[in-house]
Amino acid sequence: MYPGGRRAVLSVMAIVACMTGFGVAVYASGGTAFAWVHLMYIPIIVSGALFRLPGGVVSALAAGTILGPFMPLSVSSGIPQETANWVLRTGFFLVVGVVNGFLFNSLSAHFRKLRTAHDELVQAHEELRNAQFRLIQAAKLESVGRLAAGIAHEVKNPLATIQLGVDFLSKTFRDNREMREVAEDMDNAVKRADTVIKGLLDFSRAEKLDLTVTDLNGVIEDALLLVRHELEKKKITVEKNLDRTIPTAEADRGKIEQVFINLFMNAVHAMGEGGLLVVKTYAMRSGRNSAPTAAGKGGDRGGSLIVAEVNDSGTGIPEEKLDKVFDPFFTTKGVGQGTGLGLSVSRKILELHRASIDIRNRKEGGVSVVVMLPQGKEGFDAEEKNFGRR
Amino acid sequence: MLKKKILVVDDDAGLTRMLKRNLEATGKYEVREENAGARALSAAKEFIPNLILLDVMMPGIDGGSVAAQIGDDAALKHTPVVFLTAIVRKEEVGPEGSSIAGRTFLAKPVRLEDLTACIERELGKR
Repeated sequence: MYPGGRRAVLSVMAIVACMTGFGVAVYASGGTAFAWVHLMYIPIIVSGALFRLPGGVVSALAAGTILGPFMPLSVSSGIPQETANWVLRTGFFLVVGVVNGFLFNSLSAHFRKLRTAHDELVQAHEELRNAQFRLIQAAKLESVGRLAAGIAHEVKNPLATIQLGVDFLSKTFRDNREMREVAEDMDNAVKRADTVIKGLLDFSRAEKLDLTVTDLNGVIEDALLLVRHELEKKKITVEKNLDRTIPTAEADRGKIEQVFINLFMNAVHAMGEGGLLVVKTYAMRSGRNSAPTAAGKGGDRGGSLIVAEVNDSGTGIPEEKLDKVFDPFFTTKGVGQGTGLGLSVSRKILELHRASIDIRNRKEGGVSVVVMLPQGKEGFDAEEKNFGRR
Repeated sequence: MLKKKILVVDDDAGLTRMLKRNLEATGKYEVREENAGARALSAAKEFIPNLILLDVMMPGIDGGSVAAQIGDDAALKHTPVVFLTAIVRKEEVGPEGSSIAGRTFLAKPVRLEDLTACIERELGKR
């Protein structure tokens, strides 16, 4: 690889300065400092190293030319054989320049091959790491999913008894304020437990997709409508920047809506009163080798992507916890506020769509969530559909 | 007013007891509990209910098989069966239950008012 731009100019200037310096030293000494001629090999070698064969040849000829003015002195001082020496020495310069240039050409080719091999190894390692990550996640999700479904079913039965017991007590003691309050508290507790179970079941059932042609903007609008009450309660301003020209996706509309409801509710919980929620959509092209996102390992396989960004002005996520936000049961919310399943369910749903989700803190404060869905049928083939419907 | 007879079949005795207590407290229903799925058919033949509340996942025999036995019985085949179960979700069937493939499902846990609304709706269909 040749040095480029400013570095190349500086290198040429340094080489020319060296050669001129050595030439002047030989010339000024009137031949007594003839040994300085050997120093000419240094810029020739350097030139060959930097500019390969052309550099070696040009610098060798330049060295010979610089020593040219020394020749008349040599002839006039009665040493005619110096002319032959000069030709011979220029020939040596050329041999060294050419051989050196070839050597560095060859070295450079080997270096390029090594670099390519290194890059391929790094990429293979990254893919392996991602595959391993996905396997671990899949194993974790599968076991947690099975466990969750079992727990959910077992807990629903006693919960049904408690719910009916609470209903009975609140009817029986409807005139007793204290008892009524107790029954209300119990009723709320049952509702909360039911919400946790709903999350667990969402998690264990996320693997079934009902794919239809889906307009992501429409899904986002619907999800915003569903959380409108929460947004209004906290006086949160919603700024929509939806690109109406984005292509459609083949997706399970209900499940993708669930993802956005989860994202919006997370944003609501992270923001105080008067926060700003910015939702953007746009389309983008993406190459096969684009870097996988933090969570969507392997989501992008090249082609068109439909992107949705959800940016909030909340408190953000501590950096050390960013890589845990997709773990089942991880939550930064207060006790009773979150099940810790919203983001894991969301990621599971998106992975089944061959989509990705990435969460990062914004410099301005708050969190930015980027969801990328493949356009139309690009993300699916028959085999993948089967995978999605297992 | 003649009380409607409801047969509740669920292996969870605490739940059937609570259902009986709540439904009978409305003054509109007479409730019989049965905690063994295998005995559900004989209990139904004996009680001749106006409606059966039936759990799905029970040890020994599942609710679907019990419903099939009831459907095969000449005296009981027109008796509405409501599956009160944890295998469906409120998001799927609504709080007052709804029909899936011709069968009525109600999701656990259920509120008394939703349960009675479902029972009345199913009884009204007869």
